[in-house]
This record gives sequence, structure tokens and C-alpha cells, in this order.
Amino acid sequence: MAAARRISFLSARMSRPVETSKPRLAPGCRVSDLPGRNRVLLIPEGVLQLNDPGVRIVSVCDGERTFREIVQMLQKEYGSADPSRIERETADLLERLHVRRAVDF
Amino acid sequence: MNGPLSLIAEITHRCPLHCVYCSNPLVMNGKGDELSTDTWIDIFQQAAAMGVLQLDLTGGEPAARTDLVELVKSARESGLYVNLITSGIGLSEEKLEQLARARLDHVQLSFQDADSGPADEIAGATVHAKKLEIAREIQRYRMGFTVNIVVHRRNLQRLPQMIALAEELGAHKVEIAHVQYYGWAFRNRENLLPTREQLDSSLEVIRGAQARLEGRTRIDYVVPDYYAKFPKACMGGWGRKTMLITPSGEALPCHAAKIVPELRFENVKEGKLQWIWQESDSFRRFRGEAWMPEPCRSCDRRTLDFGGCRCQAFLLTGDSNATDPVCSLAPAHNGVEEMVQRVNALHSSADDGSEAASAKHAPWEYRQNPR
Repeated sequence: MAAARRISFLSARMSRPVETSKPRLAPGCRVSDLPGRNRVLLIPEGVLQLNDPGVRIVSVCDGERTFREIVQMLQKEYGSADPSRIERETADLLERLHVRRAVDF
Repeated sequence: MNGPLSLIAEITHRCPLHCVYCSNPLVMNGKGDELSTDTWIDIFQQAAAMGVLQLDLTGGEPAARTDLVELVKSARESGLYVNLITSGIGLSEEKLEQLARARLDHVQLSFQDADSGPADEIAGATVHAKKLEIAREIQRYRMGFTVNIVVHRRNLQRLPQMIALAEELGAHKVEIAHVQYYGWAFRNRENLLPTREQLDSSLEVIRGAQARLEGRTRIDYVVPDYYAKFPKACMGGWGRKTMLITPSGEALPCHAAKIVPELRFENVKEGKLQWIWQESDSFRRFRGEAWMPEPCRSCDRRTLDFGGCRCQAFLLTGDSNATDPVCSLAPAHNGVEEMVQRVNALHSSADDGSEAASAKHAPWEYRQNPR
């Protein structure tokens, strides 16, 4: 359907993961896996572009690993980056995806 | 020119419903003209090779096709993300299980209202109860589930109940979309256009529901462009993001484009998708800015809304080149303004469904099935 002026209001209350959250890709959401193409997050009637760390994050959101485990994993993999920045940006991404209903936790 | 991001496959124009706001064209393809299973499978493969990521299987009612499961399976195998846009009528427990096994990604299920009386009146068929059954079946599978509700003057006052229904049905996303005036919706527009007061109240309801349901149910709200100051970026621009293929194989930039008389559209049986997208006259016709009249040509917004909707310009002015009349800067804008004012003068905000309120409405023109 042609989109005419989508309206959305975000409340002040944001959905942020906590240490013990177990993020999981929501039903109908999956990372594309097409040869020779950038990986993107496919959601109902939508495509979310992610950078490399973003793709890594959503790829490990399996509902088993906790947020803490995911952050620790990334801190190890991106050893040269500031660990608290990694934690903050991972939480930021998951929050945005939660609002988009692409990730549950 | 980048390839399209999405393909809309109108696999049939047959449908068991007769919704008065249907955006299908008034002249539809008959069953005998429908593309074969193999042709659709080839189209999906071509689309995926061009970089298309998202496929909408729609119609008419896509479940009217007996090869639906095979089409979903093939589309997934081609690498496409598959959305099924359906009324639910024609689906069953068994079919849903087959679709889940075929790896259907997402179902968008339409509802016409919160209550069966008005819902079945709009659909011109007794369907609401069946949709509720199908919705409950869908929840058993791990696939995306969106409830789509088209809103208009006759049902807007039940917006809270419609949101509650979607929530109760466990929808991950609710798309509440105002009627867009093409096809059958255009014929019924005097009955459907909401009042300004209804629109304003609805925004409050939506705002509240979005806040309350954040993280649980996503609510998307699409407002009617007749009330906008500037036009919508229709389809993300002519021939920029999406290709639509009709049941008989015509490749269009959108569902309404056939009404533009001077355009000749290509058929996928005669040309490759890549060529049609990149080179065909019809897809090139309104790309870029060379076609734009003033005020569009010098307007700062031309890269935002691409001059609005060509089909709407044609419908309202007889000229597909004209500035979209919903734009406040359009020469033909007063026609839209007059209609808006007429509707607001005639109808109070509370269309309470009473006899008196109903008496002010012209009889519906129900969507016909193709011959």
C-alpha cells in the first residue's frame, strides 16, 4: 500500500535491555543471507540496514544468551574499542529494534 | 538507477470480498488471464537476482490461488522475504500449516471493523467471524503477524475497539490505514472521507495506544493525504523502490497506474524484469525532475515527495503531469479543499451509526469480481 504520512510517537519510557535480558529476534524477523550482498535485518514489509557490529548483535540474539553475555562477547571481539561504549551502543541498538518490534526481551 | 527493493505480486484479482474501499482497479484481470505458477516462479527468481528483498503476495485474495503454497515455497527458495497480504478468507488450519512449512515469513490479515455488523457491511460479505478464527490459528506459528485495518468516516469512532481487537489477537504490528482514494475507494470517497474532528480525535487515540503498547505491539498510522499540506512520497517515487505485477503480467510502478491513458506498460511474458525496470518508457516516464511542472520543478520538497502521486493527479485533474492536487501549492488544490469542506459541513464528527447518520450516506458501490 502506498504510504501516506506515517505517524508515530515515541513515549518517554524507552524499552532498554537489562543485564539479564535475553534478546531474541521477533517472529518474522531474520537476517538476510544472500551471497554477495550486505546482510540486512528483514522484518515484516521492511528492511533495516545495520553496520557490521549491528549484524553481529542481531545474529546472536537467540533468546538464550543474556544481554551481559552478548556485550562481553562484543567487548572481546572489538577489543580496541571502549568497553562502556560497546555496552551503551548495544543497548541503544536493541532498544531501537525493540520499539520496531524486531527484537523481544 | 538502483533496482527495486520490493515486488508486489497481484497474483489474482479474484476475491470473495467486495470491500467498498478496495484499491484494485475498476477493470480487473479475469481468471483466464492469470499467470501460471511457473511464470511467477521465474519472476521471483528474476526479482531476487535484481536485488529485490521483499515480496508481497496479494491480489484480490491470494488464497484464491490453489498454488499459493508452492509460490511461497519458491519465493523463499529464491531468497525473498515473503509477506502474505490476505483477507483470511480462503485460508484454513491446514493451509496455514502448509504455509508455515513453506517458510512464509509474515501474514498481514485484514479486518474491516471491530464488530461483525459494520465489518460485514463494508466487506459486502459475511466474513468477520472467519477472520477471527484464522487470526487465532496464525498465532500457533512463529511468523510475523500484522493486523491491517482500513479506517474511514464510518468506523473511526471504533478506533479504540479496533486496537483492542488487534491486541487481543496477539498481532505484533497493527497497521491502521486511512482509505486512499483509488479504484473502488475513489467511487465511494464521499462516504469514506473522515471529518477533521474525527481525524484529530484519532491522533489522540493513536498516540495513547502507541505509548501504552510500545515494545509489545507496534502501531503504524497512515493518515489521508486529502488533509495534508503536502503530498505523500507516493511509493517512494515513481519507479524508485517498487515494482508491481498484475495477475496478467503487466509491470506497473503502483496498483493504480493503468488509469493513466497515455502510458503503455510492459508485460513480464515479453520482457525481462531488469529491462522493464531500467529501460522501459513507462518506468522512466516520471523518474527524475524533467517531467515536473511548476511549482514542483523549483520546489524545495521535490526530492522529498517527488511531486506527489501521478495517478491521483490524473484522477482529480485529468492530467498525469499536474501537481498532485492534495498539495496546498497545487493549482488544482481548491477541488480537494471543496470536497473536504463539503464533507465536514454535511457530517458531524459523531457518525454514531444511527438511522439519521446513515441516511446521509449514499448507497455503497461494492467491489465487483472480475468477469
